[in-house]
Amino acid sequence: MSQTISKAEIRKNEKLMERSGSFTNPFEKKSRASKLRRLPIYLLVVVMIAPYYWMITSSLKSVKELQVVPPTLFPRDVILGNYYDSKYNPEMFQQEVMQGLFQRYPDLKFGFFRFMINSFVVNISITVLTLIIGSLAAYVVSKHRFKGKKFIYLVIIGSMMIPWQVGLIPGFLLVDDLGWINTYWAYIVPALPKAFIVFFLTQYLTSIPDELVEAARIDGASEFTIYYRIILPLLKPALIAMMIFTAIGEWNNFLWPLIITTSQDMATLPVALANLRNSGAGNIGTQGIIMGASLITSIPTIALYFATQKHFIRGIALSGLK
Amino acid sequence: MLSPFALLFIVFSVYPVLASLRLSFMRYNAICNPDQSPCGSVGFGNYTTLILHDDRFHKALSNTSLYVVGAVILGMAASLSLAIALQEDTRINRVMRVVFFLPSVTSGIAVVLVWGWVFRGDGVGLLNAFLNIFGIAPVEWLATTWLAIPILIFMSIWGGAGFGMILFLAGLNSIPAMYYEAAVIDGAGPKERFRYITLPLLRPVMVYVGITGLIGAFQIFEGVYLLFPTSVGSIGGLQDMALMIVPYLYDAGFNKFRLGYASAIAWVLFAIIFIVSMINLKITRSMEDLK
Repeated sequence: MSQTISKAEIRKNEKLMERSGSFTNPFEKKSRASKLRRLPIYLLVVVMIAPYYWMITSSLKSVKELQVVPPTLFPRDVILGNYYDSKYNPEMFQQEVMQGLFQRYPDLKFGFFRFMINSFVVNISITVLTLIIGSLAAYVVSKHRFKGKKFIYLVIIGSMMIPWQVGLIPGFLLVDDLGWINTYWAYIVPALPKAFIVFFLTQYLTSIPDELVEAARIDGASEFTIYYRIILPLLKPALIAMMIFTAIGEWNNFLWPLIITTSQDMATLPVALANLRNSGAGNIGTQGIIMGASLITSIPTIALYFATQKHFIRGIALSGLK
Repeated sequence: MLSPFALLFIVFSVYPVLASLRLSFMRYNAICNPDQSPCGSVGFGNYTTLILHDDRFHKALSNTSLYVVGAVILGMAASLSLAIALQEDTRINRVMRVVFFLPSVTSGIAVVLVWGWVFRGDGVGLLNAFLNIFGIAPVEWLATTWLAIPILIFMSIWGGAGFGMILFLAGLNSIPAMYYEAAVIDGAGPKERFRYITLPLLRPVMVYVGITGLIGAFQIFEGVYLLFPTSVGSIGGLQDMALMIVPYLYDAGFNKFRLGYASAIAWVLFAIIFIVSMINLKITRSMEDLK
């Protein structure tokens, strides 16, 4: 048994070595001209960073400064009023003192935090549950023999070809009939069966020798023991990749949350953000608050990306080029 | 152990798709639903209306086609150029790869809101403020009909080029270095090496990036929803300049409550994506056969 594993490992290492051998031409030496040729790409980097820079700096500007034409590149004085203005008083309304993001929803329990809580609850539930049921299904499909298995797998793969918007209207009606509008159920339950995860994990498991599972079965291990003790540890790299993709995808989901929430308090961050913008659409003074909210919405996924960067890139290569 | 997935899959994935097919042959709106017989089945009525008579749908279709062609072709060119430019594994290149990839993990809504500010029509709009330095008068970017699609294409490339770049980088790194070494010895210049080694060997990656990009582009929604609203509780911007298929589906289903009609739009979307992906695959296959 140990032999098969080590062979697989060797093969993996060989593949990695092949990949890392990126080519640089020894005949072309770096010159000043070639450095100058890189100028356009540095300019592009500026274009890439600019929106983030603007998000951050604008959220730190006062209403007065936001109205200045032309806009200031650097905030004159950095203020936190767009997030929380300690001078704000609901009874008085002044131009300079405004209602910060975290003071803006006085009717909501937890105010703006409510949207963050919603996003986290929905996101974590979906990510954890979808991986559990997905890996269970992948185990059955790849390591069990039963009638109709091929058909089931074919249906799962086939469903990936259908854009999810096809089921949008009946999905909405179904969730409505179940009385799930404005509940976490409407967010979480329909998002759980993800065909791509089952497909990806099944592909991954087929490269693991069946003998491993069969030996455990002969030793009298129960199906759940095999799943928990053998399959899950082997799936770990694939599960991590899928976890990152699911978490980021669900966090940024917009159309489905938009149609299943009608009350403010059940909105996730992207929907709350869109509502915030629609409520003060053309008013430049509210842009600071909107940029602050955008920043808060963007940070968790970017942080997750930085924390898991290595897994992330490997995951893309794994899922894309197989 | 398969049952949790199977049950959820049947109820929330298979059933909605089949139900949507059924709905697409029905009139189902705010005043009547399929249980009340007079406005039940309309046969292919929804489809014939869509394809033959619905001018807004035709507009959505032509806008989407234009957008998809632009976003996929330019996006692929951008991804490949970035991958080649940043291929060498140096510290600065690694940092730049992260920068270009960042939009792929950033909330689409947050990004669209910043672009909304960039393309504002007044003097506070960032692009207008920048152009003002050169004495150019403010332009109403989001209210100029022919600019809507180019702006959405630009946003799509900004947001998606980094993702394609990662895939192309993986593809480039899997090309064995000895091919290039042999070509150099045979006297091939950089152009020939690109044309006869890099491009052919990257073809599988190109097909993958192309098809996933295509499918994603057909489903554009957020940019249109936020940047091109219309005053009367509709969507699509001035003269429907930015109306696309999914926003139109949303408009029909959730603004106008024509649920049968919206389902028909969804199936047309599926048919288009399916056919275009198949053509794409066929073309690449036959190109391979040519050699």
